[in-house]
Amino acid sequence: MEIYLPIAEMSVHWLLLFAIGGAVGFLSGMFGVGGGFLLTPLLMFYGIPSGVAVATTASHVTASSMSGAITQWRNRAVDLKLGAIMTASGIVGTGAGVWLFGVLRAAGQMELIVSASYVILLGTIGTLMLRESLEALAAQRRGEPTPSARAQHHNWIHGLPFKVRFRDSRLYISVIPPVLIGFSIGVLSAIMGIGGGFLLVPALIYLVRVPANIVMGTSLLQIVFVTAASTILHSVSDFTVDIVLAGILISGGVIGAQFGLRAASRMRGEQLRFWLAVLVLAVGARLLYGLLVSPGDPFSVVDAS
Amino acid sequence: MRSAPHPVACRCKRPTSPRGGGKKGALLLALSLSLCTASAQADDLVAGLSQDIIQITSNYTGTDIVAFGAIENMNVMTAAGPMDIVVAVRGPDGDMIVRKKERVAGIWLNNHGVEMHSIPSYYYVASTRPLSAIAPVETLKRYELGLDEVSPRSTSARTPEIAEPYREALVRHKLIDGLYNENAGGVEFLSPTLFRARVPVPADVPRGQYNVQVYLFRDGNVISAQSTPLYVDQTGLERRLFNFAHQSPLAYGVSTVLMATMLGWLSSTLFRRIS
Repeated sequence: MEIYLPIAEMSVHWLLLFAIGGAVGFLSGMFGVGGGFLLTPLLMFYGIPSGVAVATTASHVTASSMSGAITQWRNRAVDLKLGAIMTASGIVGTGAGVWLFGVLRAAGQMELIVSASYVILLGTIGTLMLRESLEALAAQRRGEPTPSARAQHHNWIHGLPFKVRFRDSRLYISVIPPVLIGFSIGVLSAIMGIGGGFLLVPALIYLVRVPANIVMGTSLLQIVFVTAASTILHSVSDFTVDIVLAGILISGGVIGAQFGLRAASRMRGEQLRFWLAVLVLAVGARLLYGLLVSPGDPFSVVDAS
Repeated sequence: MRSAPHPVACRCKRPTSPRGGGKKGALLLALSLSLCTASAQADDLVAGLSQDIIQITSNYTGTDIVAFGAIENMNVMTAAGPMDIVVAVRGPDGDMIVRKKERVAGIWLNNHGVEMHSIPSYYYVASTRPLSAIAPVETLKRYELGLDEVSPRSTSARTPEIAEPYREALVRHKLIDGLYNENAGGVEFLSPTLFRARVPVPADVPRGQYNVQVYLFRDGNVISAQSTPLYVDQTGLERRLFNFAHQSPLAYGVSTVLMATMLGWLSSTLFRRIS
């Protein structure tokens, strides 16, 4: 049952990791997310060094976003021009993120920054999702139609220069927001091992106002390329990608994702979002606990040669 | 060459420092040892290992090797005073960073760190009696015998006093990982002249050249010593993947991405067929 991971340099129970990959894949299939924001903390809880957890999760997200991207591509639900601009800026962002990751690692603060960014991100997203799903559930109980957030017609984004026409999205907007969004997601992808879909989709809908039928395909396209770039850049700059770990997690993940897709069709959206919010908050709370509670042994040893 | 007498004999009345003398020294040592095995000589001390190469494969879960030896010189045997054997095994030296977490604004973070230069990655010492009963502290210090005496060649700390708690933490961590240990009574005499010690080699030992040093003590002094190299190597797929990742990282990263995209694509087409 034990298998030795060549990069993490530790023996692990491969069946357990396969199950973790499968469970995260199930959730990502069910909720339509990459699952990186759950997989990285879970690997860290298991004892995988945080650097390896982050870099290897990126490749898992590439795989789990792949089938979604293919489906959307077949349905022509992708704005290629917007996707290309965001991918290019995302790759630049990933480069910056990997550089920052190396600096933090050398300073011994990488673990802290990874944990702290997760606490902030999971805490914020989890709270927003929980509130939204509770409101939707309450509205449902009263028999009202589910309230849906609708973007206002004009915002500050329309005042920005360098306007470009995106024909597939029927938009004529400045390139600055897509470039900035792509870049930020790239940085986060490199530092946290996430694809960033759960940030990207709302950002594209509410800020850039990409039509709903185009947004999923376009963001999946960006996620596939940015996490792939993140995997390659981490391999080259800090040797933290574990191909054996990636293989186990992805095998579990792609199978779990297919079951998740099936399960999603039998559950109601509001309930799904409620449970995802609870899960996100629980993982965030566990990481926060790790930062606040006094460690058993304050010393840690790292190989520097 | 083989028959010619070599200036470096197995018998070393004046024991060398545990750190040896780099590659050249290791080569001479290996050469002298190969001569040793060829012909048994009338030495104070002869020693050997049950295995001089350990290959770590994917199903390796740790093993024990046996260091054994005999006291050969009868003059040594009959002389008065207590006699002790100490077996010290050192793995390849490396640099380590020990960091200490402190509470800053309610959050525990790595606030201080000390770099330890050239400290053994593996250390095991077995003896016939507790080391403190065998020799005075100065002698143990000189030969770096015992967990209290394992120390880096230099540290980044301003004074040794600052570095000491960090060194102790490193020893503690290595003890938990099974990479450092001290075993008083780990050397047993099978006959008045024949002794043996078990050396545990856990699953995650670092690769490289190890050095097994056997000391013969009398009245707190080293009267003879002998060192034998032990090689730990990793074989199999893990090793090849590790080398791949470090020697051609770009190709390794691209392969990982290819594997990911292939598996992602495969599952979506496969499951589409099924449903």
